[in-house]
Amino acid sequence: MPRGGLIATGLVGLALILLPPLSGFHPYYLYLVSTGLLFGTLATSWNILAYAGQVSFGHAAFVGLGGYGAALASLHGLSPWAAIALGGGLGAAGAVIIGLASGRLQGASLALATLAYAEMWRAIAQNWDEVTGGGAGLIGIPALPTLPWPSPDVSGGRAGGYYLSLALLASVLAVFAGILRSRLGLALAAIREEEERAGLLGVHPLPWKLLAFGLSGFWSALAGGLYVHTVRVVEPDLVFSLHFSILPLVMATFGGVGTLLGPAGAALGLYLASELFLHPYVPAFHQLPYALALIVVALYAPGGLGTLFRRRRHGAA
Amino acid sequence: MSPTTLAHAIVAGVLLGCFYALMALGFSMIRSVTRALNLTHGDLIILGGYLGYWLWIGSGLHPLFLVPVAAAALLPLALGWQWLFQRLREPKELSSLVLTFGLSLFLQNGMLALWPGEYRLIASEALTASVSLGGLTLNRGRLLVAGLALAAVGSLHVALGHSRWGRAVRATSVDREAAALLGINVDQATQSTFLLAFALSGGVGVLFATLHYLSPSGGAELTLLAIVLTIWSGAGHARSVLGAGILLGVVETLTLLWSGPRWRELIVALMLLGTLLARAGGLVPRRSR
Repeated sequence: MPRGGLIATGLVGLALILLPPLSGFHPYYLYLVSTGLLFGTLATSWNILAYAGQVSFGHAAFVGLGGYGAALASLHGLSPWAAIALGGGLGAAGAVIIGLASGRLQGASLALATLAYAEMWRAIAQNWDEVTGGGAGLIGIPALPTLPWPSPDVSGGRAGGYYLSLALLASVLAVFAGILRSRLGLALAAIREEEERAGLLGVHPLPWKLLAFGLSGFWSALAGGLYVHTVRVVEPDLVFSLHFSILPLVMATFGGVGTLLGPAGAALGLYLASELFLHPYVPAFHQLPYALALIVVALYAPGGLGTLFRRRRHGAA
Repeated sequence: MSPTTLAHAIVAGVLLGCFYALMALGFSMIRSVTRALNLTHGDLIILGGYLGYWLWIGSGLHPLFLVPVAAAALLPLALGWQWLFQRLREPKELSSLVLTFGLSLFLQNGMLALWPGEYRLIASEALTASVSLGGLTLNRGRLLVAGLALAAVGSLHVALGHSRWGRAVRATSVDREAAALLGINVDQATQSTFLLAFALSGGVGVLFATLHYLSPSGGAELTLLAIVLTIWSGAGHARSVLGAGILLGVVETLTLLWSGPRWRELIVALMLLGTLLARAGGLVPRRSR
């Protein structure tokens, strides 16, 4: 990373750490930015999968599995921390299952399969009344407990949720940075560029792909679990919403697929622009930035989409 | 299960299937001419339905008169979508999915803002009466819609097979470059396909709103249906879309008869997932290289 970028990243990070005291622990702004941070986590975990050339249209499945898993565990008396971790495991398992089932699918077929997979889970949550509460969902999810350190102001309430979201984003960024520097990163890049040739060279694609699916699903589900413990309800249309499939794709695509910080930066920027500047004035069109961002990338800035699709550009298809 | 129940389910499935085919036609036409997959397809149908509902509340006209109005209202969008689709990069299928996934979010939110609150239905009395046919009681609206679907599929089949326009469209969808080299105006063929497909979607939306409640996010399921039928019908002839529609309609009603109405959406999602996994080779049948 060039020095300018490093300094800018450091400044943004510092600003995010100092935001709660600087904003006077303003509940609305803290809620807004922590949701933006969760979208950053989601976009980054989407990016881990995209780095292996797998374009997902169904990350709502993993967010929803994490959300429902965490909510149910919490409501059955588990501590929220254990419940969120359990939800994360459920999301990872759900991601590995679709990765395994769609092992031979690529490109558009894989995209549609993941879209259908998310719809499948939404339909199950919607109709399995005995467990999920059906369309009405589950209410009364306990709030996150206040940590004893450093002080209730900072480690409880909205500020506590905010710092957890920030920590979650930092952890997924650290994992992705680690992937980029390791053999796993090389294997995933090889699979993205030329899956068959990677196989011939001794990189058997499936286990690596499943690892990428699992990591991506795990962090998306953690974000889902944290989210339901913040809003304290869970409904099919809330956590299995198409938003959680579309927005990470838009954000990562706009920020630059395969870059470390692009997706998270785009997530924060687009989400805050939409909520702060458009929602109060033109609520009907507050999601315009996402549509515009996609159109710009799809038509004029192949940097995002281009790196992802390079493999196919000179292919025989 | 009595034979009458079974017969009733099959007839209802066939009627439903004709309607499914009509809903999928626009998606299938655009895919065969441009290779693009339009994930906003279902949202456009829902938009047509809302426009029909709005006009129906305002004018009180018979819903059938509103079909052409809603169809015409979507024509400007057709031009906008065509403009965007022309500029997509390779691989077209995936790029079109990415682009239309975002546009779908945009359309859904626009509709949510324009028509908030409870779900809407064009509850015209002209369409809700039941008709007795050979011992089976059927809903007049469903019969009418199935009849219209057959008429639309039939005229499209004739137009594609036996007119200059149809030849141009077929040639464009088989091989765009070769068709252009042979002097076929491929841009005109593409544009007319977009206009026709969007008009069909808008009109179908009004019919949909007479049978089902509209909700801004209801389009996703219709899009999935259209994708299932398009994959099942292969090369995208109007009559194979009809066949696929009827097959899906009958499979769905029979499954629901066995499982109860709760799991409808699950069945559609599983159909798509199963179809994709079964055809791991790709969405489009391979042409000779």
